[in-house]
Amino acid sequence: MASAGRRWIVVGAAVLALLFGAWVARSLLEGGGGRDAGTLLAVALPDLAGEQQAIGQWKGKLLVVNFWATWCAPCREEMPMFVEAQKRHGDRGLQFVGIAVDEAAKVRQFADSIGLNYPSLIGGYGAMELSRTLGNSLMALPFTVVVGRDGQVLLTHLGPMKQAQLDRLVESGL
Amino acid sequence: MPPSVRADSLRPPASAAGAPVARAASLVGIAAVASLVFHVGTASAEIKLLPPEEAFRYAARAVDGGTVEARFDIADGYYLYRDKLRFAVEPGPLAGGVALPAGKVKDDEFFGRVETYRDRVLVRIPIAPAAPGQSVTVQADSQGCADVGVCYPPVSQRITVVVPPAGGPAGAFVEASPAKKRWFR
Repeated sequence: MASAGRRWIVVGAAVLALLFGAWVARSLLEGGGGRDAGTLLAVALPDLAGEQQAIGQWKGKLLVVNFWATWCAPCREEMPMFVEAQKRHGDRGLQFVGIAVDEAAKVRQFADSIGLNYPSLIGGYGAMELSRTLGNSLMALPFTVVVGRDGQVLLTHLGPMKQAQLDRLVESGL
Repeated sequence: MPPSVRADSLRPPASAAGAPVARAASLVGIAAVASLVFHVGTASAEIKLLPPEEAFRYAARAVDGGTVEARFDIADGYYLYRDKLRFAVEPGPLAGGVALPAGKVKDDEFFGRVETYRDRVLVRIPIAPAAPGQSVTVQADSQGCADVGVCYPPVSQRITVVVPPAGGPAGAFVEASPAKKRWFR
């Protein structure tokens, strides 16, 4: 009787340990989940027309903030996927916002070439620092932060996103 | 009375009392480690990166009173863009153009034909005549990426080298930021 009870305690503890390990691994690798996106939402940056745009204006949507640059080929390569997702799910509340660590002229040229259909703000190199505070410790690009409708960070991701990963986010976050 | 029912056998030995606890602890430990290893294993295919100063290790030396040499040691899986590589010296200006070695040609949808460097790149930089013992600062601007699909922002690094005695051997390379000691490498 007592030994059966003990066995359950051991099994329970093992399950908890398993979950703890998964949680540690997840927070080490992907990070960001569950944090308040207040810092990011409080930022305002100029758009391509030079008008200041507060990121907070998109609060309440499933917000995908993508730090990128024209000098970053992997960044440019993943952006047509974002354009497509914006087209398909924009009216359901998905909102992409690009923050370019770059010069406006180059951003405009690239934006035109791929028919960018979401705002691209110009962050300059100060934007790298912003991305660092969001978990981009190596300050590399592309770096993407997904903010849920409730203003909580759902995901931070370094490197190009995969279509399946984006689809999952859209499905669960919208 | 059968020999197995001795008075002391009714009391569990000390080791038997500790065994379930030890078993439980080890099981919990194994589960935690296994879970961590499993998750790290599945997710590490995603991204594993060096800080830029370790991916692209910059060094420079004075060859003689008219030449300095810059060197980048590029980690496996990383590359630098040739057209983003720029040099300046102080006191300046350069005594001529810097001949960058040819890189590996890559077609870029947006920028067209670009050249990249891997492994190591050595660049000879002509400087205005400098006396032995004089300090020369060699500034390198560079920008590179990792094959896993990320790029680092352009960086500017400076190294001060000392011109070696006339007719003597070239000065030793000075590393920009001494490589940090790592335990697991």
